[in-house]
Order: sequence, then C-alpha cells, then structure tokens
Amino acid sequence: MLSAPFTPEFLSQLETLRLRTRKEFLGHPGSYSSPRRGTSLEFSDYRRYAPGDDLRYLDWGIYARSDRLYIKVFREEVDLFAYIFIDASASMTFPSREQKFLPASHVALALAYVILANHDHVKLHLLQHGGGASPIYRGRRRMRDCVEFADSAAPGGGLEMAAALGEHLKRLHRPGKAILISDFLMPAPGYQKGLNLLRAFNLDIVAIQVLSRYEVDPPFPNGGVALIDSENQEEVKYQWSAAARRDYRTKLAHHNAEIRSFCHQSGIHYSFYVTDRDLAEFVFATLPAIRLFK
Amino acid sequence: MEFLNPAALFGLLALPLLLIPYLVRKKPRRLVFSSVLLFLEAGAQAGGRPLGRINLPPIFFLHLLLLALLILALSEPVFSVRPTNVAILLDNSASMQAMEDGRTRLSLAQEKIGDVIGEIGLGGQVDLYLTTPRLTKVQEEPFTPAQALNALKDIKAYDLGDPPLDYDRVLSQLAREQGYERVYFFTDHPGAGQTAVARVISVGRPQANLAVTAFDVHRASLINARLQASAVVANFSAKDEKIKIALKGRGATLASRELPVPAAGTATATFEGFAEHLSYEVAIETRDALALDNRRFAVAPVPRNLRILAVTPRPQAAASLKSIQGVSVDVISPSDYAKFGGRDYGLEVFHFSTPEQLPSNPALFILPPESNSLVDLGAPLSNVQVSSWREPHGLTRYVNFSLFRPTYARPLKPQSAGQVVIESPAGALAFAVERPGMRYLILGFDPLPYLGRENLPMSIFTLNFLDWFFDSGGLRSQATGAPIPLTAVQPGDSLVTPAGEKIALKSAFGSFAATFHQGIYQRVRGGASELYARNLDDLGESDLRTSMPIELRGDAANSGSASVLFSFWPYLLLASLLLLLAEWFINPRWARRAAPAMRRGWRGAA
Repeated sequence: MLSAPFTPEFLSQLETLRLRTRKEFLGHPGSYSSPRRGTSLEFSDYRRYAPGDDLRYLDWGIYARSDRLYIKVFREEVDLFAYIFIDASASMTFPSREQKFLPASHVALALAYVILANHDHVKLHLLQHGGGASPIYRGRRRMRDCVEFADSAAPGGGLEMAAALGEHLKRLHRPGKAILISDFLMPAPGYQKGLNLLRAFNLDIVAIQVLSRYEVDPPFPNGGVALIDSENQEEVKYQWSAAARRDYRTKLAHHNAEIRSFCHQSGIHYSFYVTDRDLAEFVFATLPAIRLFK
Repeated sequence: MEFLNPAALFGLLALPLLLIPYLVRKKPRRLVFSSVLLFLEAGAQAGGRPLGRINLPPIFFLHLLLLALLILALSEPVFSVRPTNVAILLDNSASMQAMEDGRTRLSLAQEKIGDVIGEIGLGGQVDLYLTTPRLTKVQEEPFTPAQALNALKDIKAYDLGDPPLDYDRVLSQLAREQGYERVYFFTDHPGAGQTAVARVISVGRPQANLAVTAFDVHRASLINARLQASAVVANFSAKDEKIKIALKGRGATLASRELPVPAAGTATATFEGFAEHLSYEVAIETRDALALDNRRFAVAPVPRNLRILAVTPRPQAAASLKSIQGVSVDVISPSDYAKFGGRDYGLEVFHFSTPEQLPSNPALFILPPESNSLVDLGAPLSNVQVSSWREPHGLTRYVNFSLFRPTYARPLKPQSAGQVVIESPAGALAFAVERPGMRYLILGFDPLPYLGRENLPMSIFTLNFLDWFFDSGGLRSQATGAPIPLTAVQPGDSLVTPAGEKIALKSAFGSFAATFHQGIYQRVRGGASELYARNLDDLGESDLRTSMPIELRGDAANSGSASVLFSFWPYLLLASLLLLLAEWFINPRWARRAAPAMRRGWRGAA
C-alpha cells in the first residue's frame, strides 16, 4: 500500500493514461511504433519482392493488376523506455525537502506509474554530484521500488545540468522518452546545454519545471536581506520592498518564458508546476494539455 | 494660537531622528534562498548605496504623526482672544541699560511692549508697572493703549539692582487681586515656564562684561594723611582682559595704569599720592555691553579724629591714648556707660568691663570680665610668649612678636564666629569679629597704658588696632538707592543730583531716598556743600552672562479672573492616544504576516 498521494483511486486514474511519443524508437517489440518494419497491424509501405520474403505478405491484388510482385511492409511496434531525471541539487530542498523535492518526486512517480502500468520500461535518475540511478523497472508491481528509490534520495550540493546528464546518458543504450524534472534556477546556457544533450541522444524530451510557492513569491521582510545561494553559498545583499517583490516576479516570469521558448523551439514538452498545487490536477489537467498523454 | 510651553516645540527638531532607523541600513538579515540568480543584478545596485534605499513603510508616517501630535500636546497650544485688561511689568534695573546690537535692552523691551499693546483692543486698559526701586504702578488710573505707548517712551532704567521679588507670586497676586486677563513681565532675565495668565518676555542675550565693583579713597592711616585709592575690577567673561584704568578728579586724569584681569576673576588697582579733590572717579576703558559699571565714584575722606569712648575702672590707663595724634578720648566708669552708650563714637573701649548688650559702635574689649557673651577666659598667665599670629593682617603688621610679651594675660576661648589674630601656647590672645559695618576686637592682655617708645611692640600693636577701627569707621561710598541723611535742613538748602537736577530741600525731609542714579550727589547748605557718592553695587546686574531665570510654576494659571485662552492640548493628546491604538492594531498584524514565513520557510540565517 503506497502512501499519499498514491491512493488506489489516484493510481487507477493514472492507469487510464498512456504516454505519447513523438519519435520512433528502435526497441523490443511492444506497443510503440518503431522505424523498423515489423509485424504490427499498422501498414507502412510496399517494396519489391525479393527472394526469401515471406509469401504471406505478397499483395496479390497489385500482382493481378500489374503482374508485379510487391510485398506489404508493416510497422514494427516496440516497448517504450522512459528515463526520468529528477533534479536532486540543494536548491530542490528550499524551503524544505517536503515542500519542493517531495512534490517533484511525486510528479516523477506519477509519470513512472503511468509508464509501468503500460508495461513499459522506466528508469529514475537523480541529477546531483555522483547521483545514482535506479534499475530499469517494468510492470506496475515495481512501483514500490520506484517510491523507495525516490524516498532514499538525499538532495544536496550544486548542479551542472549538462555534466550530470552526460554522466547518466553515458550508461543509456536505448533511446526513449526523457522526462527532466528540475527548478531550472540556473543561467540559460546551463539548462540549454543539458537539454541539447538529451536531444543529441535522440530522446523525446519533457521538461517539467518545479518551483515552490516561496520561490514564486518570496516572503522576505521589508528591508535589507543578505540572500545566500543554497548551492554555491554566494551572498547577495538585497533591499526588499514591494517594488523589489514586483521586480523579482517580473524577472522570474521572464526566466520561465525563456525556458518555455527554448523548449518550444527545440521540440520539447514544457510544463510548470508550483508545488502547492494539487498533484492530480497537474497530472490530469496540465500535462494532457501539452499532449504528453495519448 | 499660542503655546504655554513653547520650549517643547524644540522637540519638533527631533522628528527627523525618526528617519534614522530607515535611512541607516540595518545589518541585513541573512537568509538562505534556493538560488540568487534572479537577485544578482538588483542586489548589486542595492549594495552600492551606503545607506541603502529609503524604505518608508506607512507605519513610519503614522509614527511621525503620533510623535508630532505628542510634541504639540506637550507645548500646550491654546487659542487666545484679545485681552482687554492687561498689566505690563517692565524691568527697569541697571542691566536693562546693557547694549544689544546698538540698542539698550530697555528699548528692546519697550518695542516688544508696543507690540503687545498694539494687540489690545481699542477699549482695553493697560496698567504699567516698574520693578525698581520697588514694584510700583506708573499711574494709578489705567492707561488706554495709546496713553500707555506714550507713557512708555518716558520710562528710563535706574542704576539699581533687581529687587528681591518672587515674580511667580507677584504676577499671580496681581492677576488675582487686580483681575487682569494677562500679566506680562518684560525683563532681561530668562523666563522659564508660562501660564495661562502670566507671560515672561525676555530681551537680551548673555554677554561678556567688565565692571568696577569697588572703589575706595582713604587716608593711609590714622596718623598718615596720605591719600590712597583702590579699585576692584571684575571680569565677567571667559577670557583674560588687559584694560586701562584711570583715576580722575574733577574730570582730569590723576593717574592711570594697565591692569590685567583674569577670566571670571577680579584684579585690584591701587593708586597713591594723588592730589586732593572733593570727589574721585575711577573708570576703565573698555567697550563692553554695560557702560554704567565701567565707572565708579568716591568722595574724598575728610581729615578727622578717632573719637574713643573708654569705659574703664582705670581712667589713667585709658587716658594715655590721648597722646596719640588724631585721637580724642572720653573716659567714663562702667557705671556711667548707660548715659553715654549709643552716641556716635569711632570706637568704644571696654577696659576690664563689658556692656549688657553689644554696642552699636566698633568696640575693643580688653580683658573682659568672666560674665561676657563673647569669650570664655582661661587661667591667668604671666610673661606670655606669642606662639603664632595672623599675617598679613592690619593688626599684626610691623609688630616684633619676639619682643611682644604681655606681663599679664588670660587666654581666650571664643564663643562666637571670628578669627584668632594672636595666639599663645595656652590659647588665643587676640580675637577679632568682623560683621558688615562693624568690628569687635577682644584682647586677653592689656595694651594700656600707651607708653609710646617705651614699649614699642605694644605701642605699634596699639596704633594698629586704632587704625583698624579707624578704617572701619571711614566714609565709604554707598549703593544706589541708599538714602542721603538730611539733618538740620535750612531754608534754601538744595540737593544737586548727578544729572545736574537741583532739588530744593525742605525741613520735613529726613533723608533723600531717590538716589537711583550712580554718581556724586551734592548737598548745598549755605555756602558749603557735602558730597555723597552712590554707585551701582549689585554684581548680578554687571554679570550679563547668566541671569537668574524667572520660573513661573503655575500659580498664576489659576489666579486670573478671566482666562482668555482656550486650551486644546487635551484633544491633541486624545488624538495621539487614538493613533497609538491604531498603531497597536496595525503594527502587530504586519509582524504576524512575516514572522511565520521566517519560521517555516527559511533555514538557518547564520
């Protein structure tokens, strides 16, 4: 029995979903289309008969009309391999682990369950210095393992997204779907380099930005504050006021728009999740809106 | 609108201090945040300003208003209507002659009085009072405002000190008894406090001043007619001065010299061997605030004898004093003292006797009997050796005390305050008591008879004490306001004042009391004349640095017959309290909004 929010009702709702891919992958036979010609029911093309071809796929109608032998080619359906990358840097623990990293991991687990329920493969990756990765899970009974893996994560330290992704991608041998869950609170070149790296590995990418309410609307007291970066301990003195609050919100909106724009241009699904929102609403309303599910 | 406590308005100057906590950036609170990426640019701007951005929350303006209202309430604002029955007291003491930027304090006060009178309604009444020589009304009937302005022009300051008055009581008494709506007091004393009825309006500011505070012309001694003069100059300032002081007689300078006067101290100038004149003037050359006290006058001492009344059971011993030049002696037995006592003698000598009451003339007590009130007597001694003596002292000068050996003495044990002048190992031998205008000397040995050269130490001592008593009985100048005694006034006698005014004297006059101006008064009697010197003798008038403040403690506030003031400071106070209440509601709400966020959201501000 999983703990909240993974109630039986929520899980059964998740089982109704199925991830949508925009790329064709080479993989084991399964339910996702592959560029390979295979034996699925989905017609793909014709080609000239060659000796040794299976005579069952000859199109006798064409032969009757043109006196030429053509073989019907069908698409091959393959299993989906999904890789969920969860940002486990120190910034994911602000204002607390429960208020940011935990909701982010819940999003990851919900998507993992959607994948597992469709009998596909999922692998969880923690993006941090020396961050680990789970084995590849398949089948809904492995959901408990996914939860345990996420619970065992200890976010901390700084994050170089491209470098951290590179470490994980070196060990991936199969293309598939990459789901990157991060707060993206880093300079644009940092996350752009990371996302480009995923694209280079021919992965179908989904970027989910997770921020806590305190990052969207910082409740600093008016007056001077010395802000210390949770990752690199850099200190910035700041005079906080209503005008400064407005200024911060504008900058954050601009930063988020920059991420969205980059994702749009790069063919990446992008979604934004504030951790005080209802997870079910996010999964069943927001994510379908970006056509993440079939 | 007026303020009963205008000093509180200075508190408004402190209002900008409220800005300080907002201007001076506090040490910033250290907070951990997920990423400072979005703060980097703006943070650099904030850090570049030493005081940070002025961050004035609405609560600041509430505090500002609250503080301003409290200060206004403390200043006790009142709305006033035009008073119609007013008393104006004008300080016309000597210090009101001090100059302030080319004008006297009196003229400044007169100008301010003019302003006050100008505010009185046409039907108003004004009573003018002068404070010196005593508090008197200028005119019995009240003035109209126009008449008061005219009367004001004729008022001059006297060369007199302030009368010792409790102005708080005086002002309240005037308001109460005469029913004045307002009582104004114009003076150069600083006023402290203000009441609904009484106002003290001050003119002038603290200034440095130099003054001749004493001047005396006298003969060198009883038998030496050589003239000597001494003048004391006081420096009422914070820096040393060097001034020129001149002795004048009949307008001509007889002698002059430079005199250094230390800051806040005095210096004495002495002159000797100058020509005889009827009167003398000493003047210092300085341009200070008050010219009046830069001069002082004295009358030449007339050659005269020292008249001695000797009360003794040994008349021959006392009669030996007659051999001294300038001394006349009336010798009586102690039982006859009742007949002679009270007459004007320069010295009364009680030889082995003592009166029932202390005499009104200077007195010498020689070996008084046991039953006297001045000293107790010790056991008799013979050939007493003097062990110590006071020096310098007029009684001991030129005396060779190694040769000074009274054959019979009784040590004295003084019973009253005074100074021991000569002392033996067994006790005091000479004890002097000096009181204003009076000197007593008690001897534990007998200097009589006067033997001249046959007993030089004792003879010199005898001449010393005669000089000492002669000096105390000399003619001295008196303070302004001291009456001039007028005895045996004849028809045609007159008195000429320092201003040259000639006043015909009548036999009914016992004395002339209006000596309100400094200078020489000349009494003309037939062809002869007598001179009297009168000088300002009040250091408080000369010291222009600090004047005794006049404190109104509030008696006058309750004494007016009809207050013309509407006080609204209680309403201001009420408004302040309401604001305070509002602040109490508003401020914690803000604090509550921020505090939980700190508790929940922020980790470890270092």
